[in-house]
Amino acid sequence: MTPAVRMTGITHRFGALAALEDVDFEVAVGSVHALVGENGAGKTTLMRVLYGALQPTEGALFVDEIERRWRNSADAISHHIGMVSQHYSIIHELTCLQNLVLGAEGSFLLPADEMKKRADHLAAKMGFEFDWDAEASGLSPSAAQKLEIVKLLWRDSRIMILDEPTAMLSPVDSDALYISLKQLASEGATVIVVTHRIPEVVQHCERVTILRGGKKVADLRVSETSAELLAELIVGHAVTRPAPTAPNPGAAVIEAQDLVVRGARKDHALKGATFTIHSGEVVGLAGVDGNGQRELFHALIGTLPIESGRLVFAGDEITTTRACTRLMEGMRLIPEDRHEEGVIQDWSLVDNATLGLQRIPPLTNGPWSDLVARRSLAQRVADRFKTKHSGLYKSMRSLSGGNQQRFVAARALELDPKLILAFQPTRGLDVDGTAQVYAEIRNACRNGAAALVASFDLDELLENCDRTLVINNGRVFEPLTGQERDRQAIGQLMVGAK
Amino acid sequence: MNSLGWKQIVLALVAFGCIALALVGIGVMPFDALSELIRGSLGTKNNWNETLKHTTPLLITGLAVFIALRAGLFNIGAEGQLLVGALVATAVALKMPGLVGAVLSVMAGTIAGGLWALPAGLIKAYRNGHEVITTIMLNNIAAALAIGLVAGPLRGGTGLSTSTDVISESSWLPNVYQDLPFRLSLALPIAILLVWVIAVWIKKTVAGFELCATGANPKAAETAGVEIKRVTVRAMTISGALAGLAGAIQVLAYEHNFYAGFSSGFGFDALGVALLAGASAWGVLPAAFAFGALAKGTTSLQALGVPKGLSGLLLGTIIIVFAAYRYRKVKSHD
Repeated sequence: MTPAVRMTGITHRFGALAALEDVDFEVAVGSVHALVGENGAGKTTLMRVLYGALQPTEGALFVDEIERRWRNSADAISHHIGMVSQHYSIIHELTCLQNLVLGAEGSFLLPADEMKKRADHLAAKMGFEFDWDAEASGLSPSAAQKLEIVKLLWRDSRIMILDEPTAMLSPVDSDALYISLKQLASEGATVIVVTHRIPEVVQHCERVTILRGGKKVADLRVSETSAELLAELIVGHAVTRPAPTAPNPGAAVIEAQDLVVRGARKDHALKGATFTIHSGEVVGLAGVDGNGQRELFHALIGTLPIESGRLVFAGDEITTTRACTRLMEGMRLIPEDRHEEGVIQDWSLVDNATLGLQRIPPLTNGPWSDLVARRSLAQRVADRFKTKHSGLYKSMRSLSGGNQQRFVAARALELDPKLILAFQPTRGLDVDGTAQVYAEIRNACRNGAAALVASFDLDELLENCDRTLVINNGRVFEPLTGQERDRQAIGQLMVGAK
Repeated sequence: MNSLGWKQIVLALVAFGCIALALVGIGVMPFDALSELIRGSLGTKNNWNETLKHTTPLLITGLAVFIALRAGLFNIGAEGQLLVGALVATAVALKMPGLVGAVLSVMAGTIAGGLWALPAGLIKAYRNGHEVITTIMLNNIAAALAIGLVAGPLRGGTGLSTSTDVISESSWLPNVYQDLPFRLSLALPIAILLVWVIAVWIKKTVAGFELCATGANPKAAETAGVEIKRVTVRAMTISGALAGLAGAIQVLAYEHNFYAGFSSGFGFDALGVALLAGASAWGVLPAAFAFGALAKGTTSLQALGVPKGLSGLLLGTIIIVFAAYRYRKVKSHD
């Protein structure tokens, strides 16, 4: 079988740092190929070389066995290579159709009817359906992902690179995505999936390439491997998880009664959410994206007003209390979107470590900030999950996505937290990082704090939380007794089919 | 990261090349123009005097625009706030001569400037009306109000021009050093002290931290418990108060009365000062001095036959070249 892509001896250096060292990579035509590895293993760098966004220091690239040397991504796109990056490039203010054709309009005039016809044809081929005139802001994450795939088809991509395509998707949507990808492959497309979710690789992919520390460590047929073997190859040693300790629930830390909250579109995103979390326990919040998780977290931390209902925190009613007071009382947040809500990219690590804790002693002394305390805090935050950085006074922007996530997660565990609100706390983290973050959250809870962890990855929650709540259509449900760990039963609660 | 890219160097060469060509076009040798520019601003005691006199209001209004900029607000209204501050300060000083009157006059001017900016802050925070639009409108209202008042109720008894009476000498800000014709008014040390106060406030207080967070990323600031609406209103008001203070000090230290055409656009030049200043309040110091020296130096250039428009062009070019250096997009790597 001829390879669609063959990369040989790829080396890429950022300054003195080698992100890739002598990597060979080969993908067969018509296959779904997984590329796995820890954060910083070089997966994204390798794919950006293939996509023309980076020029390798050394090495050669063959597409359909013809040597290519891209000057930029436009070059790669014109040779039918397409990439969907982890953060979708959908522009909310434009319609779906405008997003689809943006940058690849094909003509000076825009014949809307003809474009819609072709768009419908491409979408129908995949079994997708779009309202092309609707604003893209209304798209759910899975719909946005689908639109990104149709964008690749619109550009006649035959080699498709998807970077962490299921990071924001529910299990059902993930499975559906892979069915679409397999269909594309069966029609002659070549699909490369960059992922850290091993179960997906085992279930859906044909071959897998493993990178570690910028080097290729293995290239295997998936049928000849197993989840355990893959995990070991990725990390470089057997993965040991700290044995989960039993919860020791104490007094109620947060009690929500019939919370009603309006979302961004002024509709009721929460329609009477009721639940209680006790000190000492880590509680998961499972649910398909867009069922009110976002609004619940904003209402809990105090950045969205509560229309009706009651919120009690450590015995005190806080329904209308300001966010800064809640933070000072011990609430901590790992926000959903670390780029936009979690950090200030242009600020140093020291200033970012302070963000959200700026009013809490020992960082303050009356109106004054204690700059020495802030620096030592930053040092602790960076050390806790071994954030890789080149200096505490360097900008947050200089950190990779995974390292920013480590930093934000570590910050939420600082200065004696009482309630840790974690929205996808391990987003973009590797196996080891995920295990560490959960271990530390559990640790804090065993010392008297409580945690609410929202994730779209049900398996991750079942594995790491003491119990799991389900949010569906603005209401919070508790699995029936006896079904607390029942994947099937919880999955049904998630989609409201009870 | 801080090395200059060839694009910036080419930009600078092209920009200054254009100016040199324009100078040659009107028959002035660029080198002569440069030496006259330096002599005219820093060459003699008198020129130093004029340069520092011009620097002082730029320093305070520059600081005003700077602090709004840190909160993510473009205060285009420093000019109007300065006029209102100067007008109110003059009125108070006329009513109450003497030291107490002078102190009250400064306070009244400061408060007036703050109140003049307050609507822009409120509209921005609670109605999401853009501060650039509202402050420009407030500028026009302030200018019309000032002319109306000096032509009517506040018009002085002497002279034909539309101006107020001169305030009592007992209210004047004293000179701290004098070597005639060079005079150093107390106004300049006060302005420098203000730079220090703002610099420390921004770096070392929680309020300063939260103000900068709001400007850098309002969403992240809000998530971190910062009440961004209040911070917005506060920043706009402080900015206006500083501009009003600049107006009051201008009256007490240099002008001693208020008249139509009181400000030569200090509030607008302040925008350039604040942009050049960058991320630190200390940057306002050299930026204001550079503007002051250029303003004075380019006036002298007119003696060589260089029209005033061309010196404005020179100033604009320098701002653009500096901004191109400073606001170069820093390449990120993921």
